[in-house]
Amino acid sequence: MDYSEAANRISRKFAQSGQTPDVKKIEGKLKRLVDEFGVQPSEAERSVTSELAKEFNLPVPGAGSAPGGGGKGGGTEEKKIAESVPGEWVTLEGKIVALSAPASPSIAQSGIIADDSGAIRFVVWAKSNAPAMAEGSWYRIESAVVDEFKGVANLKVHSGTTIKEITEDRSLIPTPAPIRDLHPGIGSVRAKVIQEWDASHERMLQSGLLGDETGTIKFVMWKEPGKERLVPGAVYNLFYTQVDEFNGRLSLNLNTATILQEEGEIAVSGGEATITGAMVHIAPGSGIIKRCPVEGCNRALSRQNYCPVHEIQPKFIYDLRIKGWLDDGEKTHNVLVQREVVESLTGITLAQAQEIAENNPLGMDEVFLQMRDKVLGRYITCSGREIDNRLLVNKCEIVKFSSADHTALLNRAGGVPS
Amino acid sequence: MSTNAKDMPRREGAFEREPARRVFAAELRECRYQFKDGEDEKSPTFVLLPSGERSNRIFIVGTLTEKTRQGEQNIFYRGRVVDPTGTFFIMAGSYQPEAMQQLAKIETPAFVAVIGKPSLYQKPDGAWLVSVRVESITVVDKETRDLWVLDAAKHTLDRVDAYTKEPTPDILKAKEQYPTIDPSLFRKIAWDALAQIKM
Repeated sequence: MDYSEAANRISRKFAQSGQTPDVKKIEGKLKRLVDEFGVQPSEAERSVTSELAKEFNLPVPGAGSAPGGGGKGGGTEEKKIAESVPGEWVTLEGKIVALSAPASPSIAQSGIIADDSGAIRFVVWAKSNAPAMAEGSWYRIESAVVDEFKGVANLKVHSGTTIKEITEDRSLIPTPAPIRDLHPGIGSVRAKVIQEWDASHERMLQSGLLGDETGTIKFVMWKEPGKERLVPGAVYNLFYTQVDEFNGRLSLNLNTATILQEEGEIAVSGGEATITGAMVHIAPGSGIIKRCPVEGCNRALSRQNYCPVHEIQPKFIYDLRIKGWLDDGEKTHNVLVQREVVESLTGITLAQAQEIAENNPLGMDEVFLQMRDKVLGRYITCSGREIDNRLLVNKCEIVKFSSADHTALLNRAGGVPS
Repeated sequence: MSTNAKDMPRREGAFEREPARRVFAAELRECRYQFKDGEDEKSPTFVLLPSGERSNRIFIVGTLTEKTRQGEQNIFYRGRVVDPTGTFFIMAGSYQPEAMQQLAKIETPAFVAVIGKPSLYQKPDGAWLVSVRVESITVVDKETRDLWVLDAAKHTLDRVDAYTKEPTPDILKAKEQYPTIDPSLFRKIAWDALAQIKM
């Protein structure tokens, strides 16, 4: 088999970047991969190309374009940020609206660049030797690559990219999007802080729930110099926040955001829900549980009194909860019933449950079994706030038989006694 | 050539638990068609109700009239749960240890609430049997049983009404699989069941 054609093709790709790879050497590598290792020729060409790209500290030429269609490499179009698509080389002009601490030594700078069409995260590789960009300044970035990382578009600045500071004095004010319309990437919202949750990690500054007229979304802010907690109940404009997706649920990371508090008020929609159905499953972890006593932690402990963060906690605090599925015959709803409601629903108080847990041979399991037998298979109406497809129940009632419903159904079924 | 080729397909949204359908024994026993939704080994199996709805799970409340322990090595329990329209055949084996223990403890007769998965079997003599593999079973009171009759009647009537309106793919499939069954029969059955509750 002849490898010179493929070798020349590879060498031409690099010649455009001013490099002169050894064609004979490329040919030898290809031959070895194909003949000795049984690699498909197209795969061999790809792997030799990327090996050379690494050697010359260049991005892989032609990434995202069809194999053999090379030669176009480096052809970049000037684009608006909102139009850039993963797999493309782009040239764009924008303002650095946020800089964040690089996550790895191979990254020189990372942050968010915005223009009037939108915003995108960017990463400047340390190897690229690019000039440092300053927050608030405008730059023209030529021949960068847009790719996808964790499902989110990302602009990569590599050694083939040129960065020029430009003088622009436009002020950029992004238009906030309704929470319902957010999608992974960068987004801006105007929202109210409706809940503040206990920090679940020592590096976490604050987490909670934001809401607007269209819905609610979880937010998190990590500890970093200059970051301040949001005030519960206050309304904020949050520009250029990072929208992350995990298990199909979105959340906002506010560390990159420009946060402006305002005077307005928002009528936060929804969240409140009432569901009537049959309790079809009581999940493990229901009944009496032990919680971590460390202030602000409150995590459920394992049977060995082990907290995932604070380790063994012999001075735990008892609590009651029921995690289960409430089913209306069309849809099953995940419910989490809080202590006071568990007490009234099961007739077992925390003190009684504790007495059972400490004296019964089955211990905490006995509380689970007693509560299960009182609740499973029963028709219950639960009200509370719905968050992430889970109803946090703060009010619960066992459904009573209604002869009015009975009569209405008899009439609906029609017919007369025969 | 780009690395996108090996990108995993985006995971589907959060897990959705299959709802538990409400169905009277008289309708469930007419089922003759079950199917898998998807090619996967773990894809859920559905029994198609003659009124045109798929069910992977059902919720029933009735009277446990009989239970028998069977098997030597692999113990399992069978039971009969009676509603106003007929009998459900339930079973719990060693793959449902919690359900089996619950069932073993219950003294017959008793009102029970059963959550389980229906499946179809053909007996050696050619007769069909719809059996419910129990996920959990608890003793309940008569009021819960009465509430269930209302609930099952309501859902049965909803299905019968939907059957005559714009057909869903499942309704079309039911018409094809059960050509001799007229779902308006289930309207009468629902009425009979409701009439048995004393006012």
